[in-house]
Amino acid sequence: MKPTIIRARDNPFSAGRLLKVRYQWLPGSWDELLVRLTALRHRAAIVGPQGHGKTTLLEDLSARLEKNGFQVYWLRFNRQNRSLSGSMWQNVFNELHGKTVICVDGAEQLSFWQWRRLKQRSKQAAGLLITAHQAGMLPSLVQCKTTPELLANIVAQLVNEPSDQLRTISNKLFEKHDGNVRDALRELYDLFADGTMRLSKTVGKTGKQEMAMPLHSGEMRSTEFPLN
Amino acid sequence: MLKIELTDGRRQRKPGEKIEVMAQWQLDEHADSVEARLVWSTQGKGTTDVQVVQQEQFDNPSLSENRRITFTLPESPYSFSGKLISLIWALELIAEPTGESDRFELTMSPSGEEIELHSSEDDFLRG
Repeated sequence: MKPTIIRARDNPFSAGRLLKVRYQWLPGSWDELLVRLTALRHRAAIVGPQGHGKTTLLEDLSARLEKNGFQVYWLRFNRQNRSLSGSMWQNVFNELHGKTVICVDGAEQLSFWQWRRLKQRSKQAAGLLITAHQAGMLPSLVQCKTTPELLANIVAQLVNEPSDQLRTISNKLFEKHDGNVRDALRELYDLFADGTMRLSKTVGKTGKQEMAMPLHSGEMRSTEFPLN
Repeated sequence: MLKIELTDGRRQRKPGEKIEVMAQWQLDEHADSVEARLVWSTQGKGTTDVQVVQQEQFDNPSLSENRRITFTLPESPYSFSGKLISLIWALELIAEPTGESDRFELTMSPSGEEIELHSSEDDFLRG
């Protein structure tokens, strides 16, 4: 059977839809986090492996800080962007005042000297929050963790209906990617994009779409998944 | 309540066309501004990009208004969809500072239809 291809805009795992999935506590709560953050004087690290929700948590936290009257200044680093230029340093410190919290995503990408300089100069600000793969750069605010249930809940939210078959796929992807939820969701995008997991139209008033998922090589079985 | 739509309701458009837009709102509280925008955005596996092509802002608007606006569609980019990326044109109406908004999608290309980046139309499932 020829796989049916889905438009990027209709893929339930498109980046735009993933952005609407915010940080989910497992356990923990925002109240607990904010109390701990205050105790750490707003200088702390969100720690965890890749794809475990650090950036999502920092973004959600920054929104809460802004609601509480802080001004948030963002710096984002990755393997392609690992340092602050001279003009960027100037921009950063021109923006600092007593109500500014600097949020640094990917702080471990900075060199020893750049990190040391940022940490020192940020003492002029109200706070410094970072994400890092390892603990030690600043006191740990939270260690981000993932579970198969978390991934399954996110998948069910995106596809709009829980299913035993989808949970099986989700659990396998969680194991395959060592708990990296981002990579598991990206693989689900690919599975839909290339037709390995597909939507086919069913006749009916509900407008539900029927999805066929491979259980074994060459075997297809149908399950209904309504689109969002 | 905010609502934005094309006055003739016709979603399929061609590059360079002038489009007449109706922007309506009934606000529960005062807004600093209401802005109508013509935008395109990308959706798919990678980062979402958004480009505001034209806009018209109404400062200190009344709580309830109807406004007609004319936008001219540019020559590109065309609406398209593939496996990895879709480019979508839309009209947006946004009230500040609440962020309450409405959105009306349209397609723009020489034929008026979205361009499909697949080899066979039979392979392509519309969601």
